[in-house]
Amino acid sequence: MSSTPLVCAGLGRRFGTKWALAHIDLSVAPASVTLLAGANGSGKTTLLRIVAGLVRPTLGQVLVFGQDPRIATSYCRQRSSLVSHRGFLYPGLTALETLRLWSSLLTPDNGDNELLELLGSVGLGDEAHSDTSRFSAGMRKRLTLLRVRLENPDLVLLDEPFAALDPAGQVLIESWVGELKARGTTIIMASHAIERAKALCDSAVLLEQGQIAWMGEAAKMPTPGTDLEAQ
Amino acid sequence: MSRPGLARQSLAILGKDLALEWRNRARVVAVVLFGVLVLLLFSLAFGDKGTQVLQVTAGGCLVIALFLSSTLSLQESFRTEDHDDALEGLLLLPTEPASIFYGKALANTFFLVALAPVLIPVTTLIYQVSLGPTQVLQIAGLWLAAAAGLAAPGTLYAGLTTRLKSQDVLMPLLLFPLEVPVLLATVKAFGLVFDGDPMGQLSSWTQLIVAFDVIYWCLCGVLFRFVVEEAA
Repeated sequence: MSSTPLVCAGLGRRFGTKWALAHIDLSVAPASVTLLAGANGSGKTTLLRIVAGLVRPTLGQVLVFGQDPRIATSYCRQRSSLVSHRGFLYPGLTALETLRLWSSLLTPDNGDNELLELLGSVGLGDEAHSDTSRFSAGMRKRLTLLRVRLENPDLVLLDEPFAALDPAGQVLIESWVGELKARGTTIIMASHAIERAKALCDSAVLLEQGQIAWMGEAAKMPTPGTDLEAQ
Repeated sequence: MSRPGLARQSLAILGKDLALEWRNRARVVAVVLFGVLVLLLFSLAFGDKGTQVLQVTAGGCLVIALFLSSTLSLQESFRTEDHDDALEGLLLLPTEPASIFYGKALANTFFLVALAPVLIPVTTLIYQVSLGPTQVLQIAGLWLAAAAGLAAPGTLYAGLTTRLKSQDVLMPLLLFPLEVPVLLATVKAFGLVFDGDPMGQLSSWTQLIVAFDVIYWCLCGVLFRFVVEEAA
């Protein structure tokens, strides 16, 4: 099995007549944090969904640890995890029940004490028995992050991780990303919070209208929307 | 890290569906009321032909009530998965899609079985039929087999049509033809229980229902992966 977390070669995805992604050639190094930047509709979410195996590419190839996520689906999903805009939560289930469900699908070893501890680690300890339909967007995001902790993947795909979070939540994400990085987890993060994300990332990819407009060291990434030729 | 097996994952999905339905009993109540209404409407249609006609048609009407109620129930079974892309969340986990199918199909079977304690006594009352303990047991067993035969393809098609705006129309159109064998066999079997079985045909019809149950549960479990994964 390849140790390269992600390789995209000539990747393209068309929705109807519009190409959401085209000519994406990308390789992500192990234990790195990569920022995907770009305006709305530039293809960031589509790229993450292709890598997660939720969307089939129209052209080209994507390999997650050397495997096609649409073919070796189970293997790729054991090694990668996506935190999307959506929380994947069931209205009617409490936070603890939601964790119990995820846990029982992932590993049978976690008891309620461990799960309550996990909830406490993201500031939801007091909300363990509250219905998630009453949660704010930030609380839902915090709960969703615990999914990744339970999955313990080698590649984490984060789609707008700072969205809907208060300053404390944003700091939580920063420390969590640092923790994952220290453990050798590879992270690909799509974000509009460029300055905050840049500080966390090693490399960056700037997408414009579905194509890679710039790629390099995160600290040197030009501001999206500026004249890249001039820079 | 060892992952839970198919059975354990299916039971987790089943537990989740039962918990959600228990907290929001709207679907169960609506489906039970619908079933009772169907029985009532058929009795009104056949009522003026006399008690004997009512008694003769009781088994068939009971099966039709189960059949129509099942469509209503199955259509609703994926509504909770639509909210917040919960189904996508399950698929993103390293779970077998078959475990989602079996969990949800078991939950749907459970809901259809739960109709029996209401619809069978209502039928005996409205259609003026009397059932002995043996007949009640036979009906209960047949009901379970029929519910399983309706739930498996119903769950598959509910998963297929859940993201479509025209689900309410498409679902019965797709499902009814597939359920005809189970429907026919159940009507025949119920008729034999209600009217008597001098030729000993009941076991043949029961075996036919069970055979379709096995085919549907195996086939739909395999096909479900393509139904949900190819939706993207």
